[in-house]
Amino acid sequence: MEAVLGKLEEYGAVLFGIGFMAPLIAQSLAAAGLAAPFGLPNIVFGLAVGITLGLVAKWRRRWL
Amino acid sequence: MNAGALSEDLNARYRREESAIAQKYMQRFPWEMVVWGLGNTLIWMSLWPLVFAGALPLWAGFLLSTLCCTLAYLPSHDAQHQSIAKKGTRLHWLNELVGHFALLPLVLPYKIAWIEHREHHANANDPELDPDYCFHGKTIWASLWNATQSRQPWAQSEIVAKVLERSNASNIKQAVIEALVLRSGYYLILAVLAWSGFAIEAFFLWWLPRHLGYTYITTCLGWAPHFPYEETGRYRDTRAWKSPIGTVLSLGMEYHQVHHLFPRIPLFQTAPAYWELRDLLERHGARDDRPDAPAHLKSALQ
Repeated sequence: MEAVLGKLEEYGAVLFGIGFMAPLIAQSLAAAGLAAPFGLPNIVFGLAVGITLGLVAKWRRRWL
Repeated sequence: MNAGALSEDLNARYRREESAIAQKYMQRFPWEMVVWGLGNTLIWMSLWPLVFAGALPLWAGFLLSTLCCTLAYLPSHDAQHQSIAKKGTRLHWLNELVGHFALLPLVLPYKIAWIEHREHHANANDPELDPDYCFHGKTIWASLWNATQSRQPWAQSEIVAKVLERSNASNIKQAVIEALVLRSGYYLILAVLAWSGFAIEAFFLWWLPRHLGYTYITTCLGWAPHFPYEETGRYRDTRAWKSPIGTVLSLGMEYHQVHHLFPRIPLFQTAPAYWELRDLLERHGARDDRPDAPAHLKSALQ
């Protein structure tokens, strides 16, 4: 149990990037009438940004 | 004059007089905190169906949610100190209900909040031992930055872990489980909403208001009454002060000193208690930054 929670905490920022940031970015683009760059579907772009920011946060151990 | 300059007898006499006054303000049942604590969370909950049904625009929902999040902590704060009803009394269940329920918008686990808060009271302004020292700062901007840094996931875990290591609370295991369930539930709800097409609503009704509310609360409750974080001790770790934005907008924290001296005095009673206690506090050398306070009582700014 502790090991699972430890992993969840360790990857929490990445999971947040996938679970919340990705659809938030995709839906924000759609709401603003913008298209994702390189012809990517909005959600793919959202996932790319969300996972990247999550990994950076995991590496820096903070978002800001 | 300060507490150290008083003779033991005089010190004890003033303490007894202070206690007698404080006791008066602990007698009345703080019904307004019960209504505030339960009502605020119910209003916050009602924003969701109202926005989802289109009865309330999202921008209005965002503003109201931010207000609700900002107001979410104080009723629970009174409950943490059992100001609503002490353990073993008939209404203690109501005290605990308010404590837990009021904090839902902030996703702050009640038991962990209390364990941390107890450490704050015991060690206020101690850079090593006070968990709220993370809100310190020579300016409001420095405090905002420090508070933001302390809310980063790993920093927050470290602060809580440090407190739990030192704490002698008997309910740590239960408190940790409750905290994990609450936090996991929050992130799960955000993810489910986001992947169901409601990410923007979740962001503006919960994620952002929660952070804005936290920021306001930590500035008013953490930073302002303890500024400049230079002194410790019963009469010097908090201060009486005059807020430039008034008593209401500073969440009643001009009288936070009374709360530290007598934590069971409910929030709404701290102002009248302060004015009745002021002369005695002055004799004890209590820190006072109000404009009419004598110079020797003011905060020592380094």
